[in-house]
Amino acid sequence: MNGDIFGLEINIWLDALVRLGLAVALMTVVVMALIYLERKVIARFQQRLGPTRTGPAGILQSPADALKLLGKEDLRPKNADPWVFELAPYFVFIPIFLVFVAIPFAFDWQIRVLELGLLYVLAVSSINIVGWVMAGWGSDNRYAMLGALRAAAQGISYELPLVLALVAVAMVVSLPGDVRGSLNLVEIVAEQGHIPYIVWQPLAFAIFYIAMLAELNRTPFDIPVGESEVVGGPFVEYSGIRWSMFFLGEYTALLLLSLRGAAVFLGGWAWPLGEEVADQNAALGLLYQFTLTAAKAGVLIFTIFWVRATMPRLRVDQLMAFSWKVLLPLTFAQIAANGLVLVYGWPDVVLLAASGGGLVLLAVIIDRAVRRPTPRPGLPSGGLEGEAVR
Amino acid sequence: MSPEEGAPDAAADDAARDYLETTIWAEVDRALSGITARPVTDEEERSVIDLVVRVPPREVVTALRALRDAQGMNFDYLRSLTAVDYEEEGVDVVYHLYSVETRHNVTVKCRLAADRLVVESATSVWRAANWYEREAQEMFGVRFEGHPDPRNLLLPEEMTDVFPLRKSHPLAEIEVLQGEGIAYEEGEL
Amino acid sequence: MVANTPEQEFETRELLINMGPQHPSTHGVFRMVLGVDGEVVTDVVPYIGYMHRGAEKLCETMDFRQGVGYMDRTEYLANFNAELSYVLAVERLAGIEVPERAQWIRMILCELNRLSSHFMFTGAFGTDVGVFGTAFVYSFREREVILDLFEEITGDRLMYAYFRPGGLAWEVPENFETRVHEVLLSARHGIREMDSLLTENEIFLARTKGVGAISAADAVDWGMSGPSLRASGVPLDLRRDDPYLYYPQVDFDVITGEAGDVFDRYHVRLREMRESVRIIEQCMEHLSDGPILPERLPRMLRTPPGEIYERTEAPRGEYGIYLVSRGGNRPYRLKVRSACFSNLQALRDMTIGHYVADAVVILGSIDIVLCEVDR
Repeated sequence: MNGDIFGLEINIWLDALVRLGLAVALMTVVVMALIYLERKVIARFQQRLGPTRTGPAGILQSPADALKLLGKEDLRPKNADPWVFELAPYFVFIPIFLVFVAIPFAFDWQIRVLELGLLYVLAVSSINIVGWVMAGWGSDNRYAMLGALRAAAQGISYELPLVLALVAVAMVVSLPGDVRGSLNLVEIVAEQGHIPYIVWQPLAFAIFYIAMLAELNRTPFDIPVGESEVVGGPFVEYSGIRWSMFFLGEYTALLLLSLRGAAVFLGGWAWPLGEEVADQNAALGLLYQFTLTAAKAGVLIFTIFWVRATMPRLRVDQLMAFSWKVLLPLTFAQIAANGLVLVYGWPDVVLLAASGGGLVLLAVIIDRAVRRPTPRPGLPSGGLEGEAVR
Repeated sequence: MSPEEGAPDAAADDAARDYLETTIWAEVDRALSGITARPVTDEEERSVIDLVVRVPPREVVTALRALRDAQGMNFDYLRSLTAVDYEEEGVDVVYHLYSVETRHNVTVKCRLAADRLVVESATSVWRAANWYEREAQEMFGVRFEGHPDPRNLLLPEEMTDVFPLRKSHPLAEIEVLQGEGIAYEEGEL
Repeated sequence: MVANTPEQEFETRELLINMGPQHPSTHGVFRMVLGVDGEVVTDVVPYIGYMHRGAEKLCETMDFRQGVGYMDRTEYLANFNAELSYVLAVERLAGIEVPERAQWIRMILCELNRLSSHFMFTGAFGTDVGVFGTAFVYSFREREVILDLFEEITGDRLMYAYFRPGGLAWEVPENFETRVHEVLLSARHGIREMDSLLTENEIFLARTKGVGAISAADAVDWGMSGPSLRASGVPLDLRRDDPYLYYPQVDFDVITGEAGDVFDRYHVRLREMRESVRIIEQCMEHLSDGPILPERLPRMLRTPPGEIYERTEAPRGEYGIYLVSRGGNRPYRLKVRSACFSNLQALRDMTIGHYVADAVVILGSIDIVLCEVDR
């Protein structure tokens, strides 16, 4: 069995290895660029300059940081569980890179075309929660433990709306021959040549975006790592190379989720005119398609940075309530509406109407919820300080 | 210039003092019926702007509670609680009270004998007294009976035999450099 | 081996979390031990004293004029207000008359200091709530403008030591009035920005409304003061209720809240900043030429025997100086009543029953300065 890469026929395993190696190498560079961009973007939001000293306009800041992290001592607390502590970064890092296998960058440009690509991506990318909990448990640190448990709760709660929002889209993908529904990412993207799915499914996109922020532990859902509360959460005891692996994993996940969002909702490389340009000129088309994917993912990433620069952090109970009480019912409603449209063969405009209505409902619910004062979950004892001192 | 400036306007000053020592004292005295309290009128000891009342240590918490619950001028706010060391004469425990509604102040003092620095805790009257009493205890060695949490507050927890704010506690270097006239002579300033 | 009963198998135990003295959101060297049941705080034990430097004892060994420097170091975010309490106490005890111009300048500087301190609060509070530095940077920009002015006047950015018993150390620069107007312009702009960045932010509202509420009666019982007390609805403002300087001559409102929760404590401060701007504007109208020190100030400052408890409204609340003199050029006893000391006591009452994340926000809303708490 042989595959081909760049026109050369090679063993299929070797081929996969080469592609994966390329992806990892590329990712490391992209992540460094992302870190640099985030620092610059947030600096602009905060009326600062960001890195300026390392290289022209500070572009060497990230490589310098990476070198510094590599050179740092790899500390392990005395009471930490050695195996769990040291293996945790891999459990975060590896699944995220495995997601790469199915991400389409341009037409016929991915590591593998998987028939159940969407399912694979979702399944693999939720493994990293295990790594977070391992990090929290293995560190023997209470902040880390608290952060890890928060991460687990958050990861599980937001996995559902995230997956279901994508499922809603997968349901209504219309394939040639009047067939609906596909989990193949390549097909999903290719079908958006004229109209991206964000138009038909705005509610699903909004839910996906919110759940994406939560999955990535980005503001306003950066509760597991909240600097002012749990001081970095599960990573509090990590240093040097292991810490940078978490960091690398985090930013890769950011990029991958944005790519996924760009592929499923924003039309990936296909919209607008992706195939038409490729039909005219293969090389130009490839470049154009890459640019489209990158630009769409870039917009998503930029908004994530923007949110980070503006928003405060939610509290853990608000976060859970928001997922289970608001997002999940709305995603179910979205899926039910899609199901009805499919069963009765209604026109696609109904999809838009139902989803748009849901989006308005979501906005109203959020607006009402935030203005209500939260009651105190426990009762104050009212006793004098020191009564409980052992 | 308002009378608040501490202006040496003798007439206004006397009027203010008169007001403190008659009107306010009358109110306080009414609240403290049954307690042997007396206003401090001595020129050397009195406060410049407030009424100071001396109460024997045995009755101080009763007096404070009576002042807090008094009708009319209820001194419901404990501003501050501290102690002043007068060496062999004993230690004064000083309570600064304020009435949020009528905006009047009164200072309650009790003198503890140097060999028996014990007074009842005021935490049953104001919860605010808690930390102030802990501080006075570690700094002056005044024991507040009935305090719910008599650990050290500012000082290390094991430092229970040294009382830094007492006059007998030396402040070696700084006293030598500045206090005792090595840094400057009296006429130099 | 004795088998565990199901209750023992599932026995939940309180987890103790130590926060501080080195923690990003304890605002200095403050330590609290939180007992948590899941995410809910069941017990709070605060520990203070890491910054105790014995300022009170040191002041007893110093000339009245030297003590000013120590007041700066107790309250490093509102130094002018701290100095003011001290110099007023000395002046009243010694019976020194202060020239009018000096008093007006003192008032302007104190209110400017209130502005800078509250800007510091809004920034730090934004960080506590979880804004990634944006609120901090924006409010620090405004604070910087004020500190620049202070630097021009006093030559120092933090430890001013500019007030003297009797007046001011030296005359303000010639362009003082134009500079103050410039500063006010940027401060007003900054207050508006804070309003739109935090007060109107949905997540900020969700995080602060109803959190750490304390009733008016409890707040008075705990001896809270300043904005933290006024947020509970007690209109106690010493500038109005126990006036000093020329506060009776200026027109300003005492801002109060209703619920006494974290949001009110924040919002009272923000609205108070507008009042400060108003006060400064009125002070500028009253400012006239004149001496800044009394003509006959004794070379060696001595006070008659007596005592005074001088209190002023510092940004964080009542800053009191209890000064006992037995004659001579040094205080016999000097007690600093710091606002945060009392406010911090109520932390336990406010925090128990809330989530761990709220503990940080509640602590931030008290706006503690540890140097002031520990002295």
